[in-house]
Amino acid sequence: MNGQARAIVWAQVRTMLNYFPKSNKSGLVFGIAVGALWYGLWSVFAFAAMTVLSEPGDPKAMTLILSGGLLLVFLYWQVIPVLMATAGASLEIRKLRVYPIPHAQLFLIEVMLRITSSVEMLILLIGVGAGLALNPRIPFWAPLALVPFIVFNLCFAAGTREILTRIFARKRIREAAVFLLVLCGALPQLLIMSGEHSRLETFVRSYNAPWTPWSATALVAQGGTALVNVFVLLGWTTLAYLFGRWQFERSLSFDADAERATTTARNPGALASALMRWPSALFADPMGALVEKEIRSLSRAPRFRLVFVMGFTFGLVIWLPIAGRGEAGIGMMSQNYLTLVCVYALLLLGDVCFWNTFGFDRRAAQFYFVAPVRFGTVLLAKNVTALFFVLLEITAIIAVCALLRMPVTGLKLLEAYSVTLVISLYLVSVGNLTSTRNPRPVNPEKSMRSGGAGQMQALLVLVYPVAGIPVFLAYAARYAFESELAFFLVLAIASAIGAVVYWVSMESAVAAAERKREEIVDRLSQGDGLIQG
Amino acid sequence: MDQAPAIAVRELRKVYGAKAAVDGLTLTVPQGCFFGFLGPNGAGKTTTIRMLMGLAPPTSGEIELLGLRMPSHAVEIKKQIGLVPDETLLFDHLTGLEFIEFVGRMYALDRKVARDRARELLALFELSGSERKLIGEYSKGMRKRVAMAAALIHRPKLFLMDEPFEGVDAVGARLMKEILLDQVRHGATIFLTSHVLEVVERLCDRVAIINDGRLVIDESMSALRSGSETLEDIFVRVVGAERHTEMLDWL
Repeated sequence: MNGQARAIVWAQVRTMLNYFPKSNKSGLVFGIAVGALWYGLWSVFAFAAMTVLSEPGDPKAMTLILSGGLLLVFLYWQVIPVLMATAGASLEIRKLRVYPIPHAQLFLIEVMLRITSSVEMLILLIGVGAGLALNPRIPFWAPLALVPFIVFNLCFAAGTREILTRIFARKRIREAAVFLLVLCGALPQLLIMSGEHSRLETFVRSYNAPWTPWSATALVAQGGTALVNVFVLLGWTTLAYLFGRWQFERSLSFDADAERATTTARNPGALASALMRWPSALFADPMGALVEKEIRSLSRAPRFRLVFVMGFTFGLVIWLPIAGRGEAGIGMMSQNYLTLVCVYALLLLGDVCFWNTFGFDRRAAQFYFVAPVRFGTVLLAKNVTALFFVLLEITAIIAVCALLRMPVTGLKLLEAYSVTLVISLYLVSVGNLTSTRNPRPVNPEKSMRSGGAGQMQALLVLVYPVAGIPVFLAYAARYAFESELAFFLVLAIASAIGAVVYWVSMESAVAAAERKREEIVDRLSQGDGLIQG
Repeated sequence: MDQAPAIAVRELRKVYGAKAAVDGLTLTVPQGCFFGFLGPNGAGKTTTIRMLMGLAPPTSGEIELLGLRMPSHAVEIKKQIGLVPDETLLFDHLTGLEFIEFVGRMYALDRKVARDRARELLALFELSGSERKLIGEYSKGMRKRVAMAAALIHRPKLFLMDEPFEGVDAVGARLMKEILLDQVRHGATIFLTSHVLEVVERLCDRVAIINDGRLVIDESMSALRSGSETLEDIFVRVVGAERHTEMLDWL
């Protein structure tokens, strides 16, 4: 690493050390706990992989297992960030571009930062490598084959990220790109539905063809000395490097301002205008004005638009495989397909509607503190806006389901709406607390979230199940009593408890906001560092 | 000796959607010149300076800085440029000292040299008392001062400055002006945008005014002073800003 790269790393370390004393201690502890639990879970998987691979088993079986495992690693590394609309940490190129830094140096750092989008896979591969190293059948040098495989994944992820970031910086093309992603996701399902499943099966079975990067890695990592496998592995790594570098260069010359300006602001149509004006007809000011402002601001934020569109398109497609299955377990999931998609949409919307409600429009937070409005009214307006968008999202999901002629009964509709709204009630309650206790400035122009996908999944694993406990109890009641009435009765009780939880959290959030107003404004006015993550 | 101009732009154009932010700008700034680049809000000043800094690629046209073409010689050019950019390019979570040292190291200064110079520059800009304070906690004027201190660390030949005096108090502005004049006396070139016309009138050798992306005046200050008009009069006349404002009834 040369002096400039070292200086960037040094400045980033200083940034983190400077930020540490100012960070929210409870938020930090929670973050560390969530991280420890999540990555601990992956360490267990890594240990399991090590145990399995350290046994000198049948080489053919091990090749199949290793190829399949490495394919899953590749898919996780490349697909999960897209699924979560998250890009991981990356260099703040806008700030570094003014300095005389060779592009190769910047690319090197950027590639290293791709690790942040899939730390889980690195942990897993360390376990795989350790297992192979302990296996007496395999030569000591063989596990080193995992190194080019990691480089391949890092470079490929860097290239993909650059493409997605540029696409999502373009108005309208961004929404079209989501539909394209949806089509890609829907392709396997469409093949199955069109009776072309044999072609799909052939394709899936060829996962361990020796020309694939995962199979070549699996063969070399077991001590295979066939030069062709080594060439295949290095060839893929070189191609991924060239792809990543090419896309990085394109991003360096990309002018996001120009792209944003290419589509000038237009007056919204009659329907859009009515959608934005309804709060003023329903609520007296300042509530009406606040909700209207929130709806306008959020609907114009690229990140919000992206996750909203993903909710009723991508969400439907990725859960489609379970929709038509009749087996026990999966059969139950397929019956609740609509509700499942709606809850997935809540996961996507969580970042923009619940957890950090002041982060997107940080200047407005300052205004709210000086305007003659009760802070509780501001929070309530934000919550009403969140629930409005949740309702809109569910309606969009149902509309798409109806278009696809999926069986949607009245009862299922009622279930989807009520379950999602009850979970939302708990989420806004928690969100009010996190928004006032741990506010973070977020750039609304960035469509892709810069945090790692792992953090989002940790939230999925930890926070959402907790918020979903009351709903889970409703399903348990339905199962135990085989009664829809029991289900909706428990759901009604859950919503009554939710209302109390909401009231308590609102009181606490308002008190915290009044007490920490200076800190909140200060935190929300902080700019980016060298690395956004 | 025949020196290449510090800045030479030809038919520079930057189009955002249907609007040309900069439209056919041709400009030459000789070395050792204190050049003021003026214009009303949205005239294209910041877009021009962003193109000169290499932050925004031009739609068409040519840029040559210190005799080298952009973007083909971007790294060599950037090594010789000192930037006072808009505030968004500062790093809020670094202290003033750390930021200046970091910038020095970006220009390939030895780490110890960068740190020593950073301390000296902080003292020169009267920021030593805020050495441990984060830039995010600085006032607007302090942010401008730290940005200018960082721009000086590698002794550049050309300074590109976007509103360097914005939000700076009178004492700080006086200090900054003295330092800039001293740099020009030592052969550096300064290209600055500013809305403070009095400062431009007092400091600059040459002034260009841009309006709606087009160059409307490019004159030496002495030629502009030869008439009876002040720079403000000329500015208001050429950008067509003399409008009748009617008071609102309710106001």
